[in-house]
Amino acid sequence: MSVKELHRGIYELDINDRKVLATKNIMPGLSVYGERLIKDDGIEYRQWDPSRSKLGAMVLKNFENPIEPDSTVLYLGAASGTTVSHVSDILTDGLVYAVEFSPRTMRDLIQLCDQRPNIIPILADANKPQSYAHIVEKADVIFQDVAQPNQSEIAAINSKYFLEEHGHLMLSIKSRSIDTVASPKKVFKEEVRKLESDFDIEFEVLQRKELDPFHEDHLGLVARMFVDDEE
Amino acid sequence: MVDMEFTAWFGKIKLDSEGKIEDCDFFDKDPEKLAKLVVELEDDVQAVPLKRADLRDAALECGFVELDEEYDILLRDVCIRAAKSQISQTDTDDSRIIQAVQALDDIDKNVNELSERLFEWYGRYFPELDMTGEELARFVSAYGSRANVPEEHRLSEKASQSMGAELSFADEELLRAFANNICSLYDTRRYIENYINTSMGSVAPNLCNVTGASIGARLMSMAGSLQKLAAFPSSTVQVIGASRALFKHLRSKAPSPKHGIIFNNPVIKNAPWWQRGKLARALASKISLAARTDFYSGELSPSIKEALDRKLESIRRANPNPPKRELQTKPQGKGGKKTHRGKRKGGKR
Ligand SMILES: C[S@@+](CC[C@H](N)C(=O)[O-])C[C@H]1O[C@@H](n2cnc3c(N)ncnc32)[C@H](O)[C@@H]1O
Repeated sequence: MSVKELHRGIYELDINDRKVLATKNIMPGLSVYGERLIKDDGIEYRQWDPSRSKLGAMVLKNFENPIEPDSTVLYLGAASGTTVSHVSDILTDGLVYAVEFSPRTMRDLIQLCDQRPNIIPILADANKPQSYAHIVEKADVIFQDVAQPNQSEIAAINSKYFLEEHGHLMLSIKSRSIDTVASPKKVFKEEVRKLESDFDIEFEVLQRKELDPFHEDHLGLVARMFVDDEE
Repeated sequence: MVDMEFTAWFGKIKLDSEGKIEDCDFFDKDPEKLAKLVVELEDDVQAVPLKRADLRDAALECGFVELDEEYDILLRDVCIRAAKSQISQTDTDDSRIIQAVQALDDIDKNVNELSERLFEWYGRYFPELDMTGEELARFVSAYGSRANVPEEHRLSEKASQSMGAELSFADEELLRAFANNICSLYDTRRYIENYINTSMGSVAPNLCNVTGASIGARLMSMAGSLQKLAAFPSSTVQVIGASRALFKHLRSKAPSPKHGIIFNNPVIKNAPWWQRGKLARALASKISLAARTDFYSGELSPSIKEALDRKLESIRRANPNPPKRELQTKPQGKGGKKTHRGKRKGGKR
């Protein structure tokens, strides 16, 4: 078996010519959602299934990943923490704030938080950043996967409140949550346009790519908050 | 100069106009207490200055904690506690909602009876009064005797010229007390309704999204639980609550019931009669799906409502005109009689 580091904290394992995406398990011995644990040279990896994770898919689609081991990440739409658990693996020296508004799902997420030292659970509606502004610090990266019709608004207001200057926004846009009938290409174009010009903060879209074949009709996007350096 | 105050999870921060820290007032480092505060602040949203010092920087700078790690550990502890307590608070199970729905029905029954009594009783003293229900109760509770109706009131003339009997002081006191009780029942009713609205959002977000909190809760109540509702085929969902209409149909050859309580959804109620059957079928099928999604995943999936809206729209578009062959003059499902308590009947269907 050979191990290649695709990005800091993210690995591609080559097991008998099969390539597997993985992160180093910071809690060896514990599998989070039934994923495979793979040992190599005394190090335990957790398999990361890109078809169950937008971030995983973005990595495989060669997105520039702004999440570093010491980043502070604000994750909107954490669900039960499938992806958050891998982010937690990457953040060996960082912290992820995981926002989720469904109490039912939050129950599972809390179990994950109980196991891991670097996830802060927040039961709240991402539409209302003021309702968690007393908890969340400035973030280097905002990752958002909420599948809501107003995805770009949610991204914009959260960036406004929490994104560090020059911080990065990573967005998974699901076209069907925005418009069920329009063509995804059109929806994506409109969302990118909104993000670039509809809000009172500016984003520079660095990369955008559809996430197929891992996720149909989803667009992945990385943008940087644009700040006027007037002073 | 202090410009803004902002409460963070660890204390109150005073900021100047640039967002820099002027002063910091810490809370006790007691995780349980801090968690309670975190929850309160989430519900009671404060104005948050966009320009503000970073929370971690503030905590370190002001000496709430010495080290980054200490901040992480305490914050994590506090937030896990907060989230756990929120879940036990908000994740009320369906049985509590069902109790609330039934309490609502009990109140309706009582309040209607009491209101009718008040109507008759007070009518002896002020027969010209054109009020019923809550309005009447509020009126009696506010004024009592006709003599107390102020001049600027729209009914002051009627009150002074009324042919009703005079109200003795003792009777007036009694009627007022009686009316006060009715008013407080109406208040409780509203309180319960709010409770249902909020809890439905977390217990059955999809049901809520598809047909509204009140009808959704009623469906759960009639089915017995969310689980049972989720297990019903949609043809059953469509007639839940129609049993009274069904008996009426058997007894008196009234039209057979097409819709149960989902008929109360404005989407159907406000539709022309010839579309109602089709609309109800579409609604019932999405209600089924919503109940299942709520029961099995508990996550809001907006696509259910979106698909429903599309379906409804296509039904409307495909059936713009009444069918010609049927020479029906009376719209279905509406009795001929209309009383001033028509509302009560509608609510109970
Ligand atoms: C597609 S799932 C996220 C999956 C997750 N990112 C993963 O890969 O493991 C979307 C989640 O966002 C949550 N969500 C939707 N709207 C939200 C909002 N306004 N605020 C917070 N969470 C929201 C949903 O409850 C759901 O759990």
